[in-house]
Amino acid sequence: MPKSEIDIISVIESKLKDKVQIQLGHLGTAAIKTSNGLHRDVLKAILEVDEKTGITAITGLDLGANIGLLYHTHTAKGFFGICTEVPKGNPKIQTIIDIIPGAALHELEVADLLGVVFEGNPSPRHFLLSEYWPQGVYPLRKDVKANEVKLNPASAEENKPPATGRLVKLIIGPQHPALLEPEKFSVTVDGEIVTKVEPRLGYVHRGIEKAAESRTYVQDIYLVERVCGICNPCHAYGFVGAVEKILKTDVPPRAKYLRVIALELNRLHSHLLTLGHAGLEIGYETLFQYFWRDREPIMDLIELTSGNRVYGSLMTIGGVRRDLKESDAPKIKTVLADLRKKVPFYKKLYQDERSIRARMQDVGVLSREDAIKLCVVGPVARASGYDIDVRKDFPYEVYGEIPFKEIGYTTGDTWARMNVRMDEIEESINIIEYALDHLPTGPIRVQTSRYVPEGEAVCCVEAPRGELFYYVKGNGTVSPERVKIRTPTFANIPSFLQTAIGENIADIPPNFVSLDPCFSCTDR
Amino acid sequence: MTNTVTWARVKSPWVLHFNSGACNGCDIEIVALLTPKYDVERFGIKLEPSPRHADVLLVTGCVTQQCAERLKRVYDQMPQPKFVVAIGACACSGGVFEGNYNVVGGVDKILPVNAYIPGCAPRPEAIIDGVVKLLNALNPPKPKKQPKREKQPQFPKEEAKPIVAQPEVLVNL
Repeated sequence: MPKSEIDIISVIESKLKDKVQIQLGHLGTAAIKTSNGLHRDVLKAILEVDEKTGITAITGLDLGANIGLLYHTHTAKGFFGICTEVPKGNPKIQTIIDIIPGAALHELEVADLLGVVFEGNPSPRHFLLSEYWPQGVYPLRKDVKANEVKLNPASAEENKPPATGRLVKLIIGPQHPALLEPEKFSVTVDGEIVTKVEPRLGYVHRGIEKAAESRTYVQDIYLVERVCGICNPCHAYGFVGAVEKILKTDVPPRAKYLRVIALELNRLHSHLLTLGHAGLEIGYETLFQYFWRDREPIMDLIELTSGNRVYGSLMTIGGVRRDLKESDAPKIKTVLADLRKKVPFYKKLYQDERSIRARMQDVGVLSREDAIKLCVVGPVARASGYDIDVRKDFPYEVYGEIPFKEIGYTTGDTWARMNVRMDEIEESINIIEYALDHLPTGPIRVQTSRYVPEGEAVCCVEAPRGELFYYVKGNGTVSPERVKIRTPTFANIPSFLQTAIGENIADIPPNFVSLDPCFSCTDR
Repeated sequence: MTNTVTWARVKSPWVLHFNSGACNGCDIEIVALLTPKYDVERFGIKLEPSPRHADVLLVTGCVTQQCAERLKRVYDQMPQPKFVVAIGACACSGGVFEGNYNVVGGVDKILPVNAYIPGCAPRPEAIIDGVVKLLNALNPPKPKKQPKREKQPQFPKEEAKPIVAQPEVLVNL
């Protein structure tokens, strides 16, 4: 273990001696068990050692008499889980948003789905659930049966009165030309200037976390893939990786390389999609058509390697389901070489084209300090000079062996975020070519037991949109006890709520699309 | 006049896309339809952002509790005649999400559906095929006119000979 990781643990041990129990190697680097109320002190202690600390997710667990809360914390030096419990009869706990403001939405989610009251972070009526959902029923509690909940049609309060005076409330969504997916944003404007943005999430909330508890592990792979159609291999890998950690399975090296190829092809198609979508949002439709034209050969490659354009279902517990034919490698390389030739043209376009610069530069600027405070992830963080990339920080599969560059920009505006993605396209091409050249021979999967023992594990993946987090708890049967998914888009929403304020209403679309929004991920 | 209207309707269907709780898989395939490789604009199909101008409603995804009411409202805003196409396994029946606490089910629980396109996600070719089949149903291709038959030369009918049972030949030994 590097010395720096021991630093944090020794500091916590010296500060909170008998009040914490530390279990090394569990839930990432270490699991720190405390009693109710002390989680704040642990967080403060970690923050003192490492200022780059952020909350990845808050997992709520129904433990029978108590509700368990796991604060998954990422630092530059390791990944910690702070575990605490609150009694089910009186589920009150102090908020942490005064220490880490980025935890606000995570707390609201736990409040809505498990009924925990976070003192100091007032929650709205419903955050993810329908307005018709009855009060006092929390779907992730074990005693709630999914099919038996009766909705209460009288309790809806959809149309709140608009703001009065100079301020006007504009409601964008759920069905809106600029949004491909249903979600509602209430934007308060003073003239042309935005003064407040309130999101209403949950239009695509399908209750996947609850559904995963009632299915087997193999069925769950296909279920969690359908959290998001764009970054589905990342979701499948996140789940499979966590289960493999509980099972302590060693994946054959060939499968690891094939997984990396699948994940990077996915990143390529997702980045091309977003770069094109950004063109559409700033009214530059030609750019959109160009990028999507170049995305189609990548979709063909995904079909070649996995068997389907969208849902390949390549990942499985213990390896991959499909091998790469030897004759396929040259085909992949030819397509990637074509794409590599086209990238300089797009880069030049982003550099020189006046309309792109006018719409994107200095729009939605997020400073490095704010990025750390709001716990943003992925290209959004890297554009603000906050170097966080799971592939580099905590390498999974074979990313540790593959040389690649971590892209970083410092301006933190919309333009920088799109350029991070542009540069990552080149890096992804390099990674795939390296993986194809160094593809080992051997089996592609190992057989594993259908029964997963008791235990819990976390798995982080660098999805195209940032760090994707999975927490899986097994209970010795064929289905998991709890699956928690924290998607990168959910973590990036707070940055939009902050950067949109004080800007023109016309800047909302390019600013928002630069986060690469995906509401099916956000809501699950 | 009716023929002209039908012709116009079939040749330029404006489609509205509504995501009622989809995973983005089908949605991205719909957008891919508009891009150079598939390019459905050559069939006159245009993605229309406003429900008030749309002829066909493409619905993707299972219907969630929040979206059910919105989906109905969007459908009500569309002018007559209107058609609903359910794209993907979830829109057809609820798919993997059937029975979840926040999911109502397939689109047909809320709206009358004219065409179902199954698949997860359906390929762009399948979506094109589904929409074209729907349009053909609006304007069924007329049966091709049969070329007039030339008059066949009439042959004189042979006179029917009465069939007479032949008496068995008995062989006397």
